[in-house]
Amino acid sequence: MNYLRKKFYEYYLKADIEAPYRIERREFAFLFFNESTMKRHISFKNKEWLLRYLKTSIPAHVYYSSAYYNNPSAGTMREKKWMGADLIFDLDADHLPNANKLRYEESLERIKEELKKLLSFLIDDFGFDEKSISIYFSGGRGYHCHVHDKKILNLGNQERREIVDYIMARGLDYSHVIVERSIYSKTYTKTIEITPSSPGWRGRIARGIISFLEEVKSMEREEAIQLLKSFDGIGDTIAQDIYDGLDDRRMELIREGKIDQMAAIKRLLKPLIKELAVKLHSSTDEPVTADIKRLIRLPGSLHGKTGFRVTRVNLNNLEDFNPLEEAVVFGEEMVKIDVKKPFKIKLKGNDFALKEGVVKVPEYVAVFALARNMANIF
Amino acid sequence: MEFEICQIARYPFIEDAKNWVKKEKIDIQEVLYEPIYERARARAVERVEQALKYGVIKEKALLDEIECMMEIFSYPLARLIVAAVESEYLVRRYALAEAKKAYESLKKEETAIIQKIAREFGIEAKDGMVHFSDYLKFAPTWDIKWKLVNRVMDKGYVELSNDEICRLIQEAIRNKIQNELFYMFAPPDINKIFGELISKLKNKLLAKEIKKVEGISEKDYPPCIKNLIAAIKSGMNVPHVGRFTLVTFLNAIGASTEDILKIFSSSPDFNEEKTRYQIEHITGKISGTVYAPPKCATIRTWGLCFPDELCKKANHPLLYYRLKRRKNELSKEKIL
Repeated sequence: MNYLRKKFYEYYLKADIEAPYRIERREFAFLFFNESTMKRHISFKNKEWLLRYLKTSIPAHVYYSSAYYNNPSAGTMREKKWMGADLIFDLDADHLPNANKLRYEESLERIKEELKKLLSFLIDDFGFDEKSISIYFSGGRGYHCHVHDKKILNLGNQERREIVDYIMARGLDYSHVIVERSIYSKTYTKTIEITPSSPGWRGRIARGIISFLEEVKSMEREEAIQLLKSFDGIGDTIAQDIYDGLDDRRMELIREGKIDQMAAIKRLLKPLIKELAVKLHSSTDEPVTADIKRLIRLPGSLHGKTGFRVTRVNLNNLEDFNPLEEAVVFGEEMVKIDVKKPFKIKLKGNDFALKEGVVKVPEYVAVFALARNMANIF
Repeated sequence: MEFEICQIARYPFIEDAKNWVKKEKIDIQEVLYEPIYERARARAVERVEQALKYGVIKEKALLDEIECMMEIFSYPLARLIVAAVESEYLVRRYALAEAKKAYESLKKEETAIIQKIAREFGIEAKDGMVHFSDYLKFAPTWDIKWKLVNRVMDKGYVELSNDEICRLIQEAIRNKIQNELFYMFAPPDINKIFGELISKLKNKLLAKEIKKVEGISEKDYPPCIKNLIAAIKSGMNVPHVGRFTLVTFLNAIGASTEDILKIFSSSPDFNEEKTRYQIEHITGKISGTVYAPPKCATIRTWGLCFPDELCKKANHPLLYYRLKRRKNELSKEKIL
């Protein structure tokens, strides 16, 4: 048995797996070491049978369906009979702009910021109970967010897409979030009214504009103008106008939601909305969240490409959660590996910078290096 | 709160209507054959004909209890006629027309009545707030105004005016009637009474369904486009992006505004003037901008992609069309 598979076996022998709700209604799917085809349409009547399967077949990746089926092991959708599905959000570093330029640790931190935004949407806007939301580190480059709530169980693709569009601000009509008014005093001035106390996008954008302008005001002139000019359609003149116009009296009005530099603020709107929206996915794998029949990694299982565990994150503990400590399950025993590709990683608080050639590393580093295919066992 | 007979007459699809008919102990045979129900039968014909012609059924002034009774009975009769014609198009158009009629009356009702009818369709409307899951089931979200992102939502509840709640109910009614009619079987008696109308409608609708765009090789369309056409022809509510894809594609392969209109004319909510304006906007006749059809990746993003084998070789619907045409022309040559 190869080393990686052996380690996975040892893990599954005593693993604490969190069985999904109504496990008997879910389809399971597996990928194995050195095999490229997925084994699908498997179901288990309870957690014991699933654990037995994991121990005997030692898969590299374990997935289950977000959907509930009448007959989960049937080969076709028609025979499976869809009964409903949880809502799943997949936050992956690939969805970030310049994803490939970020270091692994950095990208995980950035994704955490997206996750916080997502949680605010789910709890404040959609009103989901915190108890119905579960967060997991995916074992790879991101987090999964599961929403289990009877209100959304039966929503179809189209309805789920609306939820995704809401969170991503797709199709947001600006006239919905800001109100344009003309005020007459000697001449007509066009102003914008925003309402920071409003629920939903209206308030979100209002608060976003206010805190952005507060930030601009607190900056040095030169720095502020540079920042403003980084927005599309804002040049020297407008940037200076905005900055110089932010005196205390005007700041007071802005906090009340009254903005009179309409043309300039409108140019800020689009990029600010982009910042406030959750980067749920790059355009190519768009339908995933909206999909009513997708597969997701099983919590507690191992990710075959990293050896990390799909690990539950406590909602109150999100800030302190460090996946590169808490999702690392293997031991300290030293193992010799032959590094093919040099790499750097910080695991369990220790920095590792490995060069090509044979080195001795703790088991948990060996598993990671082998799973990433950056080393062989020596 | 129970509805009075004049209210039931306005909303003959509600539970109270069924209960009322049960209580009155009148059976369908009686309504079909007895001379005293002639008015109900005439109104049933009117319902179907107005639905087909105008897309909406006009409200009728109901002056006394007998008129209300006739109005109530005309509804199940109209449904039987529609079922007997066996046209998907008529079912959709009729369901929409009934729903629109109900909407027009509902708008004028008191909040309590709107709430009661909303509840029948599983919409809990309290103080102008509706849970987003109910909202999403019925809101016409292909219209930008109705997209969830453009609604005020707080803790799961969407803020709606009474009018907007009525619009949701309209959609719920349309769904209900449509689904019921798709599975309804009309008894042979219906043909005895309304045979002339039924065969007239059958002929008319059949002619409509075989009307086709000519001069263009329809069989070479990519599956997404075929799907959109089929959806529109069968009267489904196609999202805005779908309509956009279809119009830009047809325009790009040389279809005229008239050709494109012909396809949309089979949609149950077809409004010639509005559709023409929209087509001419997209095709650059009004706006000056000719919009290009979206590429495959975009269509996929919109959830409109249903790829076949050839799609693997194309990243744009127009490329698919060209490839398929060339392939078909080549094979023609071989035969010759």
